Amino acid sequence: MHSQVIAKQELAAFVENLLRQGEVVGVRRKDGKYVFDKIGSPGELCLDYDVTVLSPKEYFLPQREAFLKFELAEAIKAEPITQAQRRIILGVHPYDIKAIQLMDAVFSKDNPDPNYFRKREAATIIGVDCLNPSPHAFCASVGTATAESGFDLLLTDIGAEYVVAIGSAKGEELLQKHAKTRDASDGDLSKGKTARDEAARKYQLSAPVSLDQIPRLLEENYDHPLWEELAQKCLSCGSCTMVCPTCVCFDVQEDVALTLTTGERYRQWDSCLLEDFAKVATGENFRQHRSTRLRHRYFRKGKYMMERFGIQGCVGCGRCITACLAEIASPVDTYSRLKGGS
Amino acid sequence: MKPKVAFFDFTGCEGCQLEAINFEQELLDIISAVDIVNFREAMTERSDDYDIAFIDGAISTERDIARIKEIRGRAKILVPIGACACIGGINCLKNFYSMDEALKIVYGDDAKYYDTIPARPIDAVVPVEHYVRGCPMTQSEFLKVVKALLQGKRPDIPNYPVCVECKMAGNVCVFEKGETCLGPVTRAGCGALCVSNGRICWGCRGLVDNPNADSEKEILKKHGLSVEQVLSRFRMFDGYSEVAK
Amino acid sequence: MTMAVSTKEEALYLPRLAELIKVEQLTEREKLFEFAFKDGGELGHQPGQFVEVSLFGIGEAPISISSSPTKKGSFELAVRRIGNVTTALHQLVKGAAVGIRGPFGRGFPIEPLKGKDLLFVCGGIGLFPLRSLINYVLDNRNSFNKIIILFGARNPKERVFVDDLARWAAREDVQFMETVDVGDETWAGHVGVITTLFPDFEIDPGKTMAFIVGPPVMYRFAIAEAKKKQLPDEQIIISLERKMKCGVGKCGHCQINGAYACQDGPVFTYAEVKNLREAL
Repeated sequence: MHSQVIAKQELAAFVENLLRQGEVVGVRRKDGKYVFDKIGSPGELCLDYDVTVLSPKEYFLPQREAFLKFELAEAIKAEPITQAQRRIILGVHPYDIKAIQLMDAVFSKDNPDPNYFRKREAATIIGVDCLNPSPHAFCASVGTATAESGFDLLLTDIGAEYVVAIGSAKGEELLQKHAKTRDASDGDLSKGKTARDEAARKYQLSAPVSLDQIPRLLEENYDHPLWEELAQKCLSCGSCTMVCPTCVCFDVQEDVALTLTTGERYRQWDSCLLEDFAKVATGENFRQHRSTRLRHRYFRKGKYMMERFGIQGCVGCGRCITACLAEIASPVDTYSRLKGGS
Repeated sequence: MKPKVAFFDFTGCEGCQLEAINFEQELLDIISAVDIVNFREAMTERSDDYDIAFIDGAISTERDIARIKEIRGRAKILVPIGACACIGGINCLKNFYSMDEALKIVYGDDAKYYDTIPARPIDAVVPVEHYVRGCPMTQSEFLKVVKALLQGKRPDIPNYPVCVECKMAGNVCVFEKGETCLGPVTRAGCGALCVSNGRICWGCRGLVDNPNADSEKEILKKHGLSVEQVLSRFRMFDGYSEVAK
Repeated sequence: MTMAVSTKEEALYLPRLAELIKVEQLTEREKLFEFAFKDGGELGHQPGQFVEVSLFGIGEAPISISSSPTKKGSFELAVRRIGNVTTALHQLVKGAAVGIRGPFGRGFPIEPLKGKDLLFVCGGIGLFPLRSLINYVLDNRNSFNKIIILFGARNPKERVFVDDLARWAAREDVQFMETVDVGDETWAGHVGVITTLFPDFEIDPGKTMAFIVGPPVMYRFAIAEAKKKQLPDEQIIISLERKMKCGVGKCGHCQINGAYACQDGPVFTYAEVKNLREAL
């Protein structure tokens, strides 16, 4: 992997060129926070944000996505819907890049998911190193503060310029065609490293145990009274999972036209925290109690995903900590409590 | 054969029936899918022969009770529409007064000409098959229920809080903006309409099946509401439910 | 990301159209449906696997396969009327079309059963998936040793596949035992829950494989009876019901701790589920 350097004013020109290529999604301000959204000009972009309300997962697994359409005339006709919009996603932080890598693993294992991969292939990911971490983030302690792969290009702010790490042929071509850059010197690269190192020291939270110890910590505390204690406060509102960049569970529903002659089947974000998530038609609910649903979330993040996909299920972005009004969704607090801390 | 549909109104502003008339794109499809045989707000014909009755408004007099029982006796399927019919809605604000006091406040010296009973939702008097919630009723949910009835299936109505749809909409949480809301215990289905438009959730769609109301109350208090203010929040639409008492 | 999506993958969520060629009422709530693919193809399933059945416009539901793979040209699904999809299915008449995805999941082991003694413990509609295996085994009777079949229903009216039950009972090479939880005037047979049949037969735990499928409440008790007969955990095989939406290991609903019922199951050995605390 080699790197280039782009001046900040040249980045604006680069973004202008990208906008001429097609849809560009970037980070912009909203109500004092940051969100991923379609942008119309480089001026709308924020590249020094802390964290976005939602991760960019919606561009690969939309909140609601029709995947099958059918006609209910004399002869039933059904066909899949898998087309995807070409899109450049600009300003993705390393922890969200890692989350996308986990999604790749989930959606490729056993049965590759066509809807996911169509969108994935149509997307270009331009990352940016996170130099102003959110107060709720703990990326540095879980190895997600930086990314070495999973992007087409990755920017690092070194003052008047950005170092641009090239992560793919697609990224390299995009840069060559549309940006004015120069080769990065050792000095540039070391400035980039310094910026990342300084950022790593800014994290206010850190995981109390190392990643490889989390599965055991959880397994040993499967019946810990903490789950019930947290469940007393849990709203089962699903907020922690909706904002989570690695939560990918979905429900499947059907919609028909009033004429009942056409319809579509769609999937929609779902959450294991919600009461009906594991309830079957007979009424049996395999996770009826709040505590079992709440525990499942922690186990899925800390243990099951690692076991099944070989990748950690939590990237330390801290969005769940921000989203949880009951203040019980923090992996940092929960692991600490299980470990026997406060 | 097309099902025969009737609309009836009880205590309320009739805004939910207005929502039913206000369908623009879908109105023609609705009319071609069902026969509307009784709809005071929209037409002059009246028929007592109907399969599906949509009920707007809450029950708040003895006469209402007799009338809804009669409608229930005729309809194969009874569907309350809107907050008043589904959960009692703002009518139940009066339940926190004595009925004499409520009559006096509203009608003054003429109070003696009226009777009233504590307001209640339709299902407090007769069984109902489905609900179309919201204040006013959520139009997309009305369509969902109509389509499900045409198909003979049970409509898939969310049993999860507004937070789910609010997060999906990408909204910044109202609590983060220094305000408070009932989204965490209120049944979704509205697409977090109010919060998405810069307001807060007042709980017009009623509660989810098993709300953690105690936790929600603690959270509201932690964000600056007094016990009284917390209760009055719940009483706005959900005065009939236990959580408001 | 350079993962080419092939035509097969493109169809992951696209059902194959199948025609309903026969309907049989099993009980008041249960019917047996026989389907043939419109493209003439086979389902190609293993006993114990399931399919996702689409009623377009209504939805999709996971249904276990009740026919043996030895039956060619069509397959059978036995269905209790309970939710939207199954209610709509029950209204279909011969000639109607449905969508089928699958077969999905891990079915019952077949090869390891050869030459073994087999014990089938079928509680109510737990017979639906087990019938596939039982009929497969009986169609290949010489490959297997002793066969014991237990069937228990809540009452005589809820007995399912009565023709199969009668056929199995009549066979010399099958030890068949049946019970109902609560009898009535039509019932002259054994009365009591299915575990009350266990004292009436002997097994050789060294060479017996037990298959236990029934309502969630039955597993603990039936497994305990099997353990009393010294059966090792690896030789007790069960099938678990869970909510399944996608059937292909994506949607997350069927997770039993870290396992996916739709991928790692629905068939599990007791040795496997002992480590899955949400299983039983």
